[in-house]
Amino acid sequence: MIRQLLMVFLCLLLTVLATSAQAVSTGWKQAPHIQVELVSSHQTVSPGQTFLLALHLLPQEHWHTYWQNPGDSGMPTQIRWQLPEGVTVSEIQWPAPQAFSIPPLMNYGFEGSTVLLSEVTLPVDYSGTGLLVKADASWLVCEEICIPGDMTFELPLAVARQPAVSEHYRPLFEQGKAAQPVALQRTASYQLQDGVFSAVIESKDDLLVDAFFVAATDLVEHAREQEISWQDGSLLIRQPQNTYFHQAPEQIEIVLTSGPQAFVVQAQRLDAGGAAQAGTDFGLAAFLLALLLAAGGGLILNLMPCVFPVLSLKAISLANASGDAARQKRDAWSYTLGVLAMFAVLALALIGLRAAGAAVGWGFQLQNPWLVGALAYLFFALGLSLSGLVHFGSRLMQLGSNLGQQQGAKGSFFTGVLAVIVASPCTAPFMGAALGYAVTQSAPVALLVFLALGFGMALPFLLLAYSRRLARLLPKPGAWMDTLKQWLAYPLYLTTVWLLWVLGRQAGVDAQALVLVGLVCLAAALWLWGRQQLGRGFRLAPQLSWVFALLAILLLVLLQPQQGAQQSAENRHWEPWSPARLAELQADQQPVLVNMTADWCITCLVNERVALNTDSSRQALTDYGVTYLKGDWTLRGAEIHAYLQQYQRDGVPLYVLYWPGQEPKILPQILTPNTLRDQLALLANASSGS
Amino acid sequence: MKLKQLFSALALAGTVTAVAAAPQIGAPAPDFTVVDSHGQTHSLADFAGKNVILEWTNHECPFVVKHYVSDNMQGLQQHFADADTVWLSVISSKPGSQGHVSPAKANELTASRGAQPAAVLLDESGDMGRAFDARVTPHMYVIGADGNLLYMGGIDSIPTANPADIPKAEPYLANAGNQVIAGQPVGKPVTRPYGCSIKY
Repeated sequence: MIRQLLMVFLCLLLTVLATSAQAVSTGWKQAPHIQVELVSSHQTVSPGQTFLLALHLLPQEHWHTYWQNPGDSGMPTQIRWQLPEGVTVSEIQWPAPQAFSIPPLMNYGFEGSTVLLSEVTLPVDYSGTGLLVKADASWLVCEEICIPGDMTFELPLAVARQPAVSEHYRPLFEQGKAAQPVALQRTASYQLQDGVFSAVIESKDDLLVDAFFVAATDLVEHAREQEISWQDGSLLIRQPQNTYFHQAPEQIEIVLTSGPQAFVVQAQRLDAGGAAQAGTDFGLAAFLLALLLAAGGGLILNLMPCVFPVLSLKAISLANASGDAARQKRDAWSYTLGVLAMFAVLALALIGLRAAGAAVGWGFQLQNPWLVGALAYLFFALGLSLSGLVHFGSRLMQLGSNLGQQQGAKGSFFTGVLAVIVASPCTAPFMGAALGYAVTQSAPVALLVFLALGFGMALPFLLLAYSRRLARLLPKPGAWMDTLKQWLAYPLYLTTVWLLWVLGRQAGVDAQALVLVGLVCLAAALWLWGRQQLGRGFRLAPQLSWVFALLAILLLVLLQPQQGAQQSAENRHWEPWSPARLAELQADQQPVLVNMTADWCITCLVNERVALNTDSSRQALTDYGVTYLKGDWTLRGAEIHAYLQQYQRDGVPLYVLYWPGQEPKILPQILTPNTLRDQLALLANASSGS
Repeated sequence: MKLKQLFSALALAGTVTAVAAAPQIGAPAPDFTVVDSHGQTHSLADFAGKNVILEWTNHECPFVVKHYVSDNMQGLQQHFADADTVWLSVISSKPGSQGHVSPAKANELTASRGAQPAAVLLDESGDMGRAFDARVTPHMYVIGADGNLLYMGGIDSIPTANPADIPKAEPYLANAGNQVIAGQPVGKPVTRPYGCSIKY
């Protein structure tokens, strides 16, 4: 009996000894003004397992260590691990930092008990019976003065099939995890422009952020005031750029604190030119998709009643032709070439137009009410044409059919060319989409998109030339085509409605009504013209048709963008900038605020939200009778560029205040909520004083 | 209410103006007039026609100690003195704070460490430090013979207090100084200054 008890006692003793050899903490080690220990989340670890190691720092009261971005001085705590082959360890998973203000500087770091966690993974085939964790840690501990410290830790851990948690230290690891910011999967981007760091973070639930910490060094001026605001589901943060800024990483971490909670987001660098850096891959995908869609759109073009007869004629002639397959293929390729040539011409015309348009300032932006009105007319007229009220291009179609009947490669080439021309009246919806994409792209991309559209259009011919059976499968032309055509009118009418809505927002409900009357006139003109085409016109019908058409144009020209109208829809308190409008207001001795902005300029957006679209700034504009003109440089129009250069600027934002009788006043590029009101007060005083 | 708004507006205007002055590469360096450890007054204009290197220092700061115990700083001072460049060590610690020294102590430190500055400027008020937006010790600047600021930032690329890191680091200041002397543009005119905060 006694012997048995002795055995049990010995076993227990051995177990205790074994466990103590595999401690889970190195125990506190004292260094000047700080004590440090290295702790493992598990006392026994197993192959394939991931566990945590904690460097636990306890500085003296009022002393602190540093975050990964220490701020204006200091040094982040570093750990150099020495682990057996195959064992991997993560970077430090930093807790959310605190700010330590030491005017004029600012530091980011940690006071009190600080747990720096790192994740260690054992390989599945780890064969050792133990794991010796070695770590060289170095830190800087500061109050007002700083003491660097470094220490080497050794922590032996047991390795077994069954892992065992270090129960005693569980609260320490919970503390460490709780102190870490919660990762948010939000779209975020940042920009450094004109000496300002700004970032936009998607935030639908309006995170109540009270401070932010940028993890990259030398980006923000840490000691300067942070601006935080919300708008339209975005969190906007801003701080002046660091004096010692020298490079902007592609991606940075931003920690956001909200009371005791902290979150972390990854923000991509946005270049002043537009797309985010990370957007290049996406851009390529979008480009390939656009090419594919364009080719598909081109394919559908063949079903258009304007094109189909040409196609079916050709197809029938192919199907009937006696056996010369080589010649048929040559014809098909000639046709393809013709279509491509025509699309290339169209693309070049578009590119040329765009260049010219950018130079004259309307830059394909739907910001000019006259342009919007004209587009509404165009789409409405095309819709009416598809509905059958009138037939555009019937003469061209005739010509196309005639030429299409010619034999040989030359005939095929011209059939291709003409197919594109005759198709144009009913291809607008497809062309519109391609156009929409192409105008925002570079010239080669626009050209390629158009060529893809053309290739899609020519594709059936190529297929027909290589397969006779396909030709026989072609549906016969017939009444169904007309029905299809008439259905296709409705997307055009909807487009017209959208354009009228845009117009209403821009120029007010009166202008919208005017354009609607113009549309009625247009409908009357086209109706008269259509009757004439059918040979059912009456005397003076052509003249009357012209009168209605002119009336429609006149109504559009008379359109007056209404001043107050913009306030209605989305409380818009600005109107589009144009040199003419500015000159007019200046001639009338009106105070004017000019804001040059662009969609890709975060600083601009933040300024607008923080300082221009606020109630107090709106009130200030009203109080001082200031007209607010906004220029959009998203597409880098030449006219705005010229304006920017007047003020020795090569980019946006630019804010200029014109007060009658005084020099134009350029506002700072970072607006504060009171900038506008203060500047207006100064200008008003100066002019009343003089 | 009106009064409060006025005050906040004034406060804002104040911060906006206080913010404007930051040293800029390629622009004239801020002027200064500071007495050195021998009682002699120096200003930037005195050194017109010569390249000038400024070194913010605090002999008790571990990051400064790193570069003096390793003789790195003394070596740089000697090298640039030989190249006819004026080296000024600047102490901006306020009286009673770390790094603040009497003129005698400053001279003793120079002698005992074998340092070679042309002068040790005692910027007790911190005016010169603030004008240069100097933040840490050591914080380094290179001013060209024409008085323009050509370099500002760290002494090298590894921000630690460990002398063993010096040979591994990219010597930002040495490179910038040598490029200025050779009449070349400075490759990295702005780098990260690292070290202890200046005790203004």
